[in-house]
Amino acid sequence: MAAPMALRRELCSLARIFRGFSRLGPRASAACSGHSKCNIIRSHLPLTSSTFFHTATVLPSTPSSITVTEEPDVLYQKVSLMVKGHDKAVLDSYELFTTMAAKELGITISNISEPRQDMERLTLLKSVHIFKKHRVQYEMRTHFRCIELAHITGSTAQVYLEYIQRNLPEGVAMEVTKTTMEKIPDHILEPMWKDHPIDDKPSQ
Amino acid sequence: MASHTSKAFLSLGRINVHGLGLQRPLSRVTYATALSINSPNTNKGLPERGGRGSFLRKPRRDAGEPRTEKMPVDQDWTAVYPAATPFRPGSVPLPVRMGYPMRGSIPPEKNGNLELIKIPNFLHLTPAAIKKHCEALKPFCTEWPSALDTDAKCDEHFPIKLQSTDYVFAGPSVRNPSARVVTLRVKVSSLNLDEHARKKMLKLVGERYCKDTDTLTITTECCPLRQQNLDYAMYLLTVLYHESWKTEAWEAEKSVADMEEYSWEDSPSQRNILGMLVRMKVAGEGEGEEVREQLLGRKEVQEYKDSVTRLKNEGESESHMLQYKEAVKKLLDL
Repeated sequence: MAAPMALRRELCSLARIFRGFSRLGPRASAACSGHSKCNIIRSHLPLTSSTFFHTATVLPSTPSSITVTEEPDVLYQKVSLMVKGHDKAVLDSYELFTTMAAKELGITISNISEPRQDMERLTLLKSVHIFKKHRVQYEMRTHFRCIELAHITGSTAQVYLEYIQRNLPEGVAMEVTKTTMEKIPDHILEPMWKDHPIDDKPSQ
Repeated sequence: MASHTSKAFLSLGRINVHGLGLQRPLSRVTYATALSINSPNTNKGLPERGGRGSFLRKPRRDAGEPRTEKMPVDQDWTAVYPAATPFRPGSVPLPVRMGYPMRGSIPPEKNGNLELIKIPNFLHLTPAAIKKHCEALKPFCTEWPSALDTDAKCDEHFPIKLQSTDYVFAGPSVRNPSARVVTLRVKVSSLNLDEHARKKMLKLVGERYCKDTDTLTITTECCPLRQQNLDYAMYLLTVLYHESWKTEAWEAEKSVADMEEYSWEDSPSQRNILGMLVRMKVAGEGEGEEVREQLLGRKEVQEYKDSVTRLKNEGESESHMLQYKEAVKKLLDL
């Protein structure tokens, strides 16, 4: 019966590592939002844009502060990433990136699939006024890529997903479906009527 | 002309301040002056166009040779592109060509190529860079418990599965209302239920139970937050469990039509068969209960009972019908 007291790590220093990255605005990670230290770091970022000068990512030589808590780790049986974009080549490159990152971090990838592309077509009038017989047609193609990870812990998932999502290219969207495994809670193990006799009240 | 249209634009904007007596547009223009009168002079190559031109414009220096000429082959590429930045032709030492070629020509080169700037590039995510990043991230990861390597073991120890979705996208708002939906799946066989409780629970949930996989699925989306939906789903499971163990007074009125499965005892089929066998005088002379008891104990009757129950519960198929035929033939000595 293996439910080890797993470890939970803070991602405070992750913001320090990614300080050189210029894209942080809309994708605020849940981990960073609660820590005041990260907020202080982030307030300096909008002013210094790394597009104007190069700063090599200097990894801190001192080990980052990893705190270990006694809280048991969440266990995900399956984490399914679905990326959607308009350009198939971009999705191909992104898939390469995610698979390589998963291999480096030791995460098992159970399946990579490519669902069928979705085309949305519009037929509009070509002219501003009259000329009903002359139309123009537009189409919007959405390509999908589905990557399924199996047997991943909560801390690892948090780290991996934050890394992946910070490097999500422009014009690409992602949906993450997580399936958490949990034990049966204590109040469902035994019926409560065993200790307390059943009342004869009609159920409301 | 351009000046006229710009004044027209300005006058459109000034309609709301008409009452304040602003007749003349002020010199401070509030719109992007795409239609300004003086087009900016881009001809820097001829500085001798009047003395005034050279005073106003700073002399432009030459760009010099691009950085790609000075790059060594074994350089650290992660230092050149540490973060996600647009494509710079002077920093990428590759002869990349992109774009639709003109007739009889090849795709345009990388200098001054907008197509290369438009498309997102992965120059900051080369395998070397990914390895470096993952080395730094590794201390924050935890290992999966080795004892839970198969799905069967996971189901045995952790039978409840909660599923939710997160959405990452760029838009006017980062929130997606579909992110609050929570789905709870549990195998009914893993819950501590007796026969009556199990039947009552299946009747209570109705369509949410799938007989093939023995899975109960509860989907909650009524609350605005995901944590609330999660709590509500667990609450529903708790209530279902405890209510199904209760036996109410009106449950005694359960009729044959309410039964989930067909049972042969006290059914018209049993009465018909026994009546027929008694009339055929199979067991010899005699009437009453003991004759029926004796008939019930016979092997052919039991076989007939099994075949009828199988037909009714599992549906009709070739094998079931054949078994029924054999049972009837044996019973009636055909």
